Amino acid sequence: MATNPAQRRYVGRMIPISIAYIAAVMLASWIIPDDAAATPLTVAVALVPALATSGFIWAMARYLAELTDEYVRMLEIRKILVATGLTLALASGWGILELFTDVPKVPLFFVFPVWCLGLAAGSLVNRLTIGDAGPCA
Amino acid sequence: MKNRLKVLRAERDWSQQDLAERLEVSRQSVNAIETGKYDPSLPLAFRIADLFGLPIEAIFLRER
Repeated sequence: MATNPAQRRYVGRMIPISIAYIAAVMLASWIIPDDAAATPLTVAVALVPALATSGFIWAMARYLAELTDEYVRMLEIRKILVATGLTLALASGWGILELFTDVPKVPLFFVFPVWCLGLAAGSLVNRLTIGDAGPCA
Repeated sequence: MKNRLKVLRAERDWSQQDLAERLEVSRQSVNAIETGKYDPSLPLAFRIADLFGLPIEAIFLRER
């Protein structure tokens, strides 16, 4: 799985951030009742998982910066480009649908998970076009 | 871009993994460069040239 130092450090960062994220989401859903008003307290508690999400993005940025293998870095950047393109296209498309029709409103919360799924699509694109998926899915 | 990496490697009886370790890159990278799927950056091309003791243009061939 993790075959170079940058990947090992990446996994080493993602595990505690993931644990913190799950704990923060559980804590927020335990403390804040459904449809609570946006008070300073509820906003502060609800933003804790967002800190962890920013942590995921930071870990990915560090991973790209620390990767010394330029070919692997290119594969990873291609995955990120595919993920970003797909997410922007889906978010913009659905946003326009929401403007003009009565389709269900999708919470912005789903943007990041969709982007992560886009990374898997990027792996597939790499596999189909270059023959190598890239190390992290 | 075409290159003579596979021949040069075979002359020295190195595996792709051997070459990857000498260049401090992944075996995936060596395979991608050898098969022409990826053109290395100039710094990596110089490292490859230095390793084989040849000029870059003796390893990487201009497409005609």
